Amino acid sequence: MTALSRAARRHGPAVLFVAALLGAWQGLADLQVISPVFFPAPSRAFEELAFSASDGSLWTSAWATIKRMLGGWLLASAAGIVIGGAIGSSRTARDYLEPTLEFMRPLPASAIIPVAILFLGLSGSMALAVIAFGAIWPVLLGAAHGFATSRRGLRDVAAALEFGPVQWMWKFSLPAAMPDILSGARISLAIALILAVVTEMQASLPGLGYDIFMAQRSFRSAELYAGLIALGVIGFIVNHGLAMFERRVLSWREPQS
Amino acid sequence: MAHGHSAQDLMRPAGSAQPAMSVREVSLTLGGPPGRLILDAISFDVRQGEFLSIVGPSGCGKTTLLRLMAGLMPPTSGEITFEGAPVRRPSLSRAIVFQDYTNALLPWRTVSANIALSLEARGVARAERDDRVAALLKKMGLQHAAAQFPGQLSGGMQQRVQIARCLAQQPRIMLMDEPFGALDAITRQGLQDELMALAADEKMTVAFITHDLEEAIYLGDRVFVLAANPGRVVEEIEVGLERPRHQLLTREDPRFLKHRHRLFGLLQGH
Amino acid sequence: MGKLRGLIPPFLLVALWEAAAATGWLTLESLSRPSHILIAGARALMEGSILVATWQTIEAAALGLLIAVAAGVLSGVLIGLSRPLARTVGPTIEGLRPIPAVAFIPLALLYFGYGLPMEGAVVAYGCVWPVLVATASAVRGIEPRLLEVAAALEMSFAAKVWKIILPAAMARINLGVRVAAGFALVVAVTVEIVVNPRGLGYSLILAQQSLRVDLMYAQLIWLSFLGFVLNLALGRIGRASGASERAAQ
Repeated sequence: MTALSRAARRHGPAVLFVAALLGAWQGLADLQVISPVFFPAPSRAFEELAFSASDGSLWTSAWATIKRMLGGWLLASAAGIVIGGAIGSSRTARDYLEPTLEFMRPLPASAIIPVAILFLGLSGSMALAVIAFGAIWPVLLGAAHGFATSRRGLRDVAAALEFGPVQWMWKFSLPAAMPDILSGARISLAIALILAVVTEMQASLPGLGYDIFMAQRSFRSAELYAGLIALGVIGFIVNHGLAMFERRVLSWREPQS
Repeated sequence: MAHGHSAQDLMRPAGSAQPAMSVREVSLTLGGPPGRLILDAISFDVRQGEFLSIVGPSGCGKTTLLRLMAGLMPPTSGEITFEGAPVRRPSLSRAIVFQDYTNALLPWRTVSANIALSLEARGVARAERDDRVAALLKKMGLQHAAAQFPGQLSGGMQQRVQIARCLAQQPRIMLMDEPFGALDAITRQGLQDELMALAADEKMTVAFITHDLEEAIYLGDRVFVLAANPGRVVEEIEVGLERPRHQLLTREDPRFLKHRHRLFGLLQGH
Repeated sequence: MGKLRGLIPPFLLVALWEAAAATGWLTLESLSRPSHILIAGARALMEGSILVATWQTIEAAALGLLIAVAAGVLSGVLIGLSRPLARTVGPTIEGLRPIPAVAFIPLALLYFGYGLPMEGAVVAYGCVWPVLVATASAVRGIEPRLLEVAAALEMSFAAKVWKIILPAAMARINLGVRVAAGFALVVAVTVEIVVNPRGLGYSLILAQQSLRVDLMYAQLIWLSFLGFVLNLALGRIGRASGASERAAQ
């Protein structure tokens, strides 16, 4: 009872606000101040969402986009950890690679779409390449920073316990760099979703990005809004899922008692 | 017993027993050339089973000396041997307890997993590790903290974890670098007594570095005094106080006070 | 020495590339060759076509950024000041923020058609979040003593915001704006590549589609250079504001 009323007091205003927003939207749309071609009622958008969920097209598209995003992100993370780890733990690697990377980094990821199309055509592997290129930087920078700052005290411990370089990497350096890598990976994942949508629009690859693009082309605005809502939900789940994973893995950082 | 060195040992080591570790004419110069002389022709033995305290003011190079003994860095000249073989690199047979426990424990591993690290290093089979860890947890009074992370523990508890990890190495010598220097007085006294009991139980050979005179005398069978600029051995005393020792009674013993006076004078002189 | 070593990989790569293309060993059309790229770039600069496109991109990025900063700071201050407000709108913001800005391209197209306003709107949507979040948390973190001073001096709300809150939160708002500024260029180029027929992104995709590969690479390098300069400038500004903040303390 008290817990319920406390929850109501806590979340009540937020729920009311969302309801008011939706109500205003619905009201404006019902009055048809703006043509429903541009401005569909939220009820229409949700109907559309429910419809595409029931006929399965929503899941097919969403899954295609998620697969694209995750694939590119995994590629970016693997490469980012390896390259960042090399830069962070070896002076020589840093001297050779850093200037080249510094020049590539500011390049907007979408700008390499034309190059990728030239080499790989309008294909799924083109999308993966673009996503991986764009999403690599936060992980790479995080890994470079994390590996560079692994503590000198731990080096002594590893030496005293006669651990070799491989075990130093695996048991000491990598876990020590994990917080930086994970916070980079979270940003990378958001970028991966953005680029998944962009490449779908650009190359007509199946997925939510392509769906909303097509909805706009044929002025089916309710479908457009439904697609936006679906993308928002994916972005939200993915971001919070990774944040939860991060908290779990890094629980050692929270001092208790 | 291992700690039986007393008056009759005072003259010289008794005959054939090989020292655990022997430091011969060890010097260290950093930077340069010409560089700065940190340690100047230091020679001494760590006897089998003894508790050797090395005391000196800050900046006398005592931590550096311990790093040399561990094999974490090479001396510029001279030689260190452990059980007859030259020390060239760190070895599992020589455990090191670092002063800065926050940087010596792996913060992402639980207490149990930190202790298990030594077992992993020794290649102990996974199935066997749990029992060994449990035994060490019990020995160091850490059972309740087993699943906690180092960052959640007090300094004294963290230092216990580090000692437990060193014990898990089953070393033949413990090299301890001011392990209790950063702890409060009460915790320090508790750990001193635990360490002495442990050393007696395990017949451990210990080289213990400290800047605290009383701690050096209270714990040690022998005490070496280092002077600074450059670091060198200026005095060696046999403590000769019987064990077990007692925080109040031992520290009030006239022999303790005599040692304290002597060493105090020596350290002030420089 | 360390700095010079870093120049070895790119120079080696370019030299090999040029040599391979010159000897006819590498005939891949999609690669062009460095000397041709250089010539195409120089020509585009001289005609001014690349400069016009650059201006169009920067114009849209700046417009979007401006809207984002105005909206983000204003709402950030309000949300930062009022806990009930933060609780009320917080979940809505958390729901909107993860929608990728590029997903709004079709919607913006629906409302504005092709052109500057559409691009500016998408940029603004993408850039408002870092500004808003940074502002809100900066304002929430203001030393309460300062707000008590404002109350004691019987300042009006506007005066309080202008004289106390904004200066106190400025350093962290700056940080959010810098993140947003970097993002603005990226979003603008992306919108141009995907749909909007203007700016650098569009000329990039146009060059690719008309198989002017040399020009495409020249524009890519130019874009990278722009991004590099922007990063450098933002870093400068950040360091300068950091220094003045330290000096003020």
